Amino acid sequence: MSNKQIDPRGPRFGAAITTVLLAINVYLALDTKTLPNAFWLLTVITALFAIGAFFGNSRHPYGWIFKTFVRPRLAAPKELEDAAAPQFAQLIGLLVAGTGVALYLVVSPGALVFAAGAAFFAAFLNAVFNYCLGCQIYFGLKRLRVIR
Amino acid sequence: MPADNRLLVLLAIFAVATLVGLLWKATTGRAKRIKDGQTVDLQELGAVKNGQAVSKFGSKVTFLQFSGEFCSQCPPTARVLAELEAKTPGALHIEVDITNRLDLARKFNILQTPTTLVLDKRGVILSRIAGSPKTTTLESELGTFAI
Repeated sequence: MSNKQIDPRGPRFGAAITTVLLAINVYLALDTKTLPNAFWLLTVITALFAIGAFFGNSRHPYGWIFKTFVRPRLAAPKELEDAAAPQFAQLIGLLVAGTGVALYLVVSPGALVFAAGAAFFAAFLNAVFNYCLGCQIYFGLKRLRVIR
Repeated sequence: MPADNRLLVLLAIFAVATLVGLLWKATTGRAKRIKDGQTVDLQELGAVKNGQAVSKFGSKVTFLQFSGEFCSQCPPTARVLAELEAKTPGALHIEVDITNRLDLARKFNILQTPTTLVLDKRGVILSRIAGSPKTTTLESELGTFAI
């Protein structure tokens, strides 16, 4: 069982970047002329979530940016957090963003905006209020013994 | 959709998300008064502090923190309560990991970690705080003990 500890500000920094990208994505997805652009942006965002979900926040491009440019400017973190929950949150992001991509291709291009909006909502709560929705889902599933 | 409308939609999502965030911030970390007189049994708790079994409550107040595995707010809460204990005579901070103590989780209805129970000197539960306690919450809890 991995007990890797990370600086809690890292995932939050990543969430801030993701929030901005998803806001742009929602804007693009609301107009049929820019909908294809929204699709490509969401595909990129989905790929980034996949990196986070399978390789962890530390090996994510945002994690690299945080370690290289942001953290040196900050005081040491007061506590570290377990890497498992934020990594699972990336998986939730992957599922939501991935659903948007799938909706565009299989159901209706216009439906993409709902998935992008939902992902934006979660990223925003994380970045601004330090509330990690994916982490809460992780804890809930652990408590219900769905995951171990 | 015209650009203005698109910005409005974006603003609306932003506003709803902000509202949800503010609501959450407002409700977490607050103390809820408990009136049913439930008392904590230290034997049953089996709490350990500094390698020794905890056998007495704080002479004025006890902050009983229930923590769990993979709880990102638990270490910060433990730190805050430990600091409070250090500068408050008569205050005791106990931390109990309920990961393998479902009996305690059920008995005290612990739905999230950290959950902190505020006990008087006889171990009677006076209030419970879900989530990371706000500084103002802790101050007013201490206030009820005239500390």
